[in-house]
Amino acid sequence: MSTAIWDDYLEKLIESWKKETQPFRTVSYLNRLRTNALNRVESLRLPTIRDEEWRFTDISSLRNTPFPRASTISLLSLDSQKNTFLNEPVCRLVFVDGQYIPELSSLVDDDSVTVCRLSGLANTCASKAERHLGQLADFQDSVFVALNTALMHDGVCIVIPANVSATIPVHVLYVTSGKEEVAAYPRCLLVAESGAEVTIVEEYVALREGASLTNAVTEIYIGESARVNHIRVQREAPQAFHIANNATFVAKAARYDSVSFAFGARISRFDQKITLAGEGAECQIDGLALIAGRQLADTHTFIDHANPHCGSRQLHKCIVDESAHGVFSGKIMVRPHSQQTDAKQLNHNLLLSEKARMDTKPQLEIFADDVKCAHGATVGQLDKESLFYLQSRGLAEEAARNLLTYAFGGEIINRVVVASLRQRLEEYILARTRIS
Amino acid sequence: MSAALQNLVNQPYKHGFVTNIESDIAPKGLNEDIIRLISSKKNEPEWLLAFRLDAYRRWLNMVEPAWQNVKYPKIDFQAISYYSAPKPKKKLASMDEVDPELLRTFEKLGVPMHERAALAGVAVDVIFDSVSVATTYKEKLAEVGIIFCSISEAVQLYPELIKQYLGTVVPPGDNYYAALNSAVFTDGSFCFIPKGVKCPMDLSTYFRINTEESGQFERTLIIAEEGASVSYLEGCTAPRFDTNQLHAAVVELIALDDADIKYSTVQNWYAGDENGVGGIYNFVTKRGLAKGRNSRISWTQVETGSAITWKYPSCILRGENSVGEFYSVAVTNHHQQADTGTKMIHIGANTRSTIVSKGISAGQSNSSYRGLVRITPAARNARNYSQCDSMLIGNQCGAHTFPYIQVQNNSAQVEHEASTSRIGEDQLFYFSQRGIGAEEAVSMIINGFCKEVFQQLPLEFAVEATKLLSFKLEGSVG
Repeated sequence: MSTAIWDDYLEKLIESWKKETQPFRTVSYLNRLRTNALNRVESLRLPTIRDEEWRFTDISSLRNTPFPRASTISLLSLDSQKNTFLNEPVCRLVFVDGQYIPELSSLVDDDSVTVCRLSGLANTCASKAERHLGQLADFQDSVFVALNTALMHDGVCIVIPANVSATIPVHVLYVTSGKEEVAAYPRCLLVAESGAEVTIVEEYVALREGASLTNAVTEIYIGESARVNHIRVQREAPQAFHIANNATFVAKAARYDSVSFAFGARISRFDQKITLAGEGAECQIDGLALIAGRQLADTHTFIDHANPHCGSRQLHKCIVDESAHGVFSGKIMVRPHSQQTDAKQLNHNLLLSEKARMDTKPQLEIFADDVKCAHGATVGQLDKESLFYLQSRGLAEEAARNLLTYAFGGEIINRVVVASLRQRLEEYILARTRIS
Repeated sequence: MSAALQNLVNQPYKHGFVTNIESDIAPKGLNEDIIRLISSKKNEPEWLLAFRLDAYRRWLNMVEPAWQNVKYPKIDFQAISYYSAPKPKKKLASMDEVDPELLRTFEKLGVPMHERAALAGVAVDVIFDSVSVATTYKEKLAEVGIIFCSISEAVQLYPELIKQYLGTVVPPGDNYYAALNSAVFTDGSFCFIPKGVKCPMDLSTYFRINTEESGQFERTLIIAEEGASVSYLEGCTAPRFDTNQLHAAVVELIALDDADIKYSTVQNWYAGDENGVGGIYNFVTKRGLAKGRNSRISWTQVETGSAITWKYPSCILRGENSVGEFYSVAVTNHHQQADTGTKMIHIGANTRSTIVSKGISAGQSNSSYRGLVRITPAARNARNYSQCDSMLIGNQCGAHTFPYIQVQNNSAQVEHEASTSRIGEDQLFYFSQRGIGAEEAVSMIINGFCKEVFQQLPLEFAVEATKLLSFKLEGSVG
């Protein structure tokens, strides 16, 4: 990856963004980080399908559009607010085309959640950001993380203080207005201090169809015995590029639950890295990709068992229709001396049409002997017996198919703890399966 | 780790000795002249020399692959002698005429050829370094029309068959080591089962690498015509050396309509000492083409030796209803490294494949399963089942699984599962409670772990493999 080739696409990109990017005034650390990342970008290049990690995901079409920064700030109509905001009281942070919109956001009054913009870091947030921002998501080997770090202009730092349970969920909403073909480089850092608890919903939505680029990086630091419940929904426009990196650090006895949904985008790529960095840390990461048309959804996960007595569970599902292409690569690493590791990974894929394609690569790398590790992967179509059973109960074949497809995805949706979001996802998947 | 088990693991290599036979060795190094020399020494036709030179030119433009999960010092391809043959004495008509030194070697290895041939009904085509010295049972096989001889003999006697099939499954430019092999292969086996013939006995080849620093580049070609079936056994032992030896073989199998090829391997080459010094580099390309309808290709391998094992016996399932199978046990100990697995390429409709892979790592070794299951858009109703289990013995070894599953047809059913486990204290306790010592318990547990694969081996091999595994892992558990 890191051959020193100067990529002319990256060069132009950096040049055009440099002009518009203001230095961060309050924290010099951020400017330093940005410069380091910029230097790193110079020795990286865009990955091609000749790179093992990008074998099935051809992003060369990304070069065709420059994707500049949004020139105007748009607000959401009441209607779109209704479709994107959650019914429950939440701490809401809204970004439109990469810009933070205070008018649409609503912060909590109590002290359970502290939110700061990167451009105005203060107090606790400043020290947390200095300690963790750019530390969890490594930009040395990933050109997209490096680009995000180099070009980040707006973003948030969320801190949950020690031994505090956030009273309401945090909803970070990234909206693509679709008015022009723009790029957004959103950045989010969540720090749950030891013993803290929080539910965070990270959602990407598009207001209308059209090409756009989102290159998002989310870093989550979970302190000792803290718990973070993370729900990620990606519903970008069918022409969009969505590239995201999540990096999570799970300290001793802490727990991380994550559910991610990939519904939109022409090409979406989601890299999720979880480091179980303390004894007894646990994580459960589930995912669902539902794609059709000529969409490509690529999920790469990496669970690093770096300490003894850690546990991980993973269930990833893909429903691939029409000429869509699903990609999954999940690696479980068990470092030397990480004894008593208990890791389980499952990947089930449903191909609904003849042209649908699925590439999956579950991987285990194990360097300790006293461990329980297993993974499984299946690719197939709907079970004929089940279809027959439903039909024999009077369901039309079409209805039976839709019901089974819905049930296949429903297992993941049930993991969503925020009721109104779960309902919205259920409706969404019902609508999608009805079309097919 | 108990002392008893420690001892078991650390058993010296039992087959380490060098036979002194005068060898006819080509100067070290590789260039077009060496290839011409090999070709002229073997009295080869013009087209084969062209085949070799074409492969060599491709090889020159290729880059040594680096994606594999093994580490080794860079190989100096100019420091290898590419041809070595025992001095030709005279044509041998019976076993009595074989060099007594050679016969003694086989006896030391526990391969009493004549006995084995008579008792077990096995025809043994013995490869001693690069030239085939004795072939038994040839006549019996010839009665039913089976050709079983060394590939250099086949080039002389059946050039049209060789020309038709050589390089069709593994083309000369397939990969770095296949290209190297195509350029410099010296010997190997050729087997041709004509239409409708069921081979009356298991065919077997014993390979020996004998001359120090001479890499062995055999080429095996097996063709089963319509309705034919054959079971082929390959077994390997090599003497002890401290310089690493490269072994880059190519095996090609072709099964026509309704044909059935079963290829079994027990590989126990010198693995280097307990510090990882020496040992064979086993970089092999093995591939079978299930070309005809209802054809079947089955690979069974027990990999216990070599410092580095790096091979993926594969099946291209082109014929309708064709079947591919892969059963593997890979055992690594000390500093051994193994990156092995299979590729199942489903092209024809209703093709089925099964993969069962068992990896056992002990000491500071690493073993990886790397496999590909590809269902192409034309492969309607294809079916695959894969199972990869690893067992770790000790906390300094590693086990890795890298399966690639690529499905482009929605009527396919593909399943993959993998697990990792170890021999638990409670299991050993259970055995000792019943008066069974740790060593025997481990041997029993491991045999149980590998049972599904051993069942696929021909009888004599199954016995040999069971023994091999127990003394390979002796002393590594506790």
